Amino acid sequence: MNADDAMSRYARGDDAAFAIVYDAVAPRLEGYLRRHLRGSAQVEDIIQQTFMQMHDKRGTFSAGAEVLPWAFSIARNFMIDTMRKTKREASADLTDERTAMGAMLVNGEEVLQARQTGARVLAAFEALTEHQRAAYELTEGEGMSHAEAASVLGTTVTGVKLCRHKVNKRLRSAIEEREQRVAAAPSAAPAGDR
Amino acid sequence: MSLAPDLKQRVLAAAAAKPAPTRGQTTRARLVLFVAAIAGALTIFFIKGGVRMTNRPPLLVALTSVGTAILSGVGMYLLFTRRGRSMLRRPGLWLLLAALGSTVAFVSWKFGVSAAFGMAQSWPGRVGFKCLRLSILTGALPLFAALVSWRGTDPLTPAATGAAFGAGAGLGSALLVDLWCPVAYVPHLLLGHVLPIGVLAALGALVGWRLLRVRSR
Repeated sequence: MNADDAMSRYARGDDAAFAIVYDAVAPRLEGYLRRHLRGSAQVEDIIQQTFMQMHDKRGTFSAGAEVLPWAFSIARNFMIDTMRKTKREASADLTDERTAMGAMLVNGEEVLQARQTGARVLAAFEALTEHQRAAYELTEGEGMSHAEAASVLGTTVTGVKLCRHKVNKRLRSAIEEREQRVAAAPSAAPAGDR
Repeated sequence: MSLAPDLKQRVLAAAAAKPAPTRGQTTRARLVLFVAAIAGALTIFFIKGGVRMTNRPPLLVALTSVGTAILSGVGMYLLFTRRGRSMLRRPGLWLLLAALGSTVAFVSWKFGVSAAFGMAQSWPGRVGFKCLRLSILTGALPLFAALVSWRGTDPLTPAATGAAFGAGAGLGSALLVDLWCPVAYVPHLLLGHVLPIGVLAALGALVGWRLLRVRSR
């Protein structure tokens, strides 16, 4: 039984089906929430709140509906509330990834270049609107279809595609700009070495 | 890092400790609420005079009513239903276009058909305030029923959904008021038949933002 069928059965009153919904949905929510929130307690709190909301409103779950976009939209709503309350940086994950990438590189110059590229990508990512970031994360990070992401964000499939296009364009231009600078650098560097 | 091993048990225990209505119970409760709201709206409508032919030919009344019923029905379907397999409402732009499109189509139909029968002239004594009041009164009850039925279910756009419910309720009341009002003069239509849709949409947005949104626990 998949999560959609399980939620539908739970909506009809089959209480045992909620465990199946949990097993299918909780890990997906966890991955998404951990990219935005640092505290384990916050992630667990939001997951618990999300499932309690789904439980409270199980009677509204339509037969044949998809549970995952529903769960994500509820969790995202709670996450935004939490972020507003705690004023945490939504980009903590990217900073961590940048640090991790830096640690993997041995060469000092490579580390510096990677950091600079990472900083540019990070700046480009942070310049995006919340909607564009979310569209990118749901489709790229969570592997959702455009239709599922559109459902979570309350927009159209075309809206999600447009967001993705804009994000890709911005990130690509940030990387290309950095690469052009690096390519231009060697002509000046040897002179400095001599 | 992974979730605490006992989180699943905590979630399941919390759910078991707080029984929630099933789909059947929810549907029945909604049905009762909507039937009561529609009965209330019809009661108000008949207290105010009910269907009035005035000097309208029966064919004109039939045409405007059937047309309004179809246009309102399409509008209400788009405003009240979800999209595809999603549990969430249609995007805000969709809702806005559905509300505006249905309203414009309804006014155009009422005016066009009445003009064809030579009955779109000015009625100096009928500015539109009576229609405005009746539309708001008959539309407010279904709107209230919708907002209560779907309370706490919109994590994305509660105000837009509330506005859509308001516009849907306004389109429904436009159907009733059309049976009551013979006037098809455009300024009257705008004040007495279109403005209430806007008023109910605004009311729906205001109350919907409070009632429909999903709150942190």
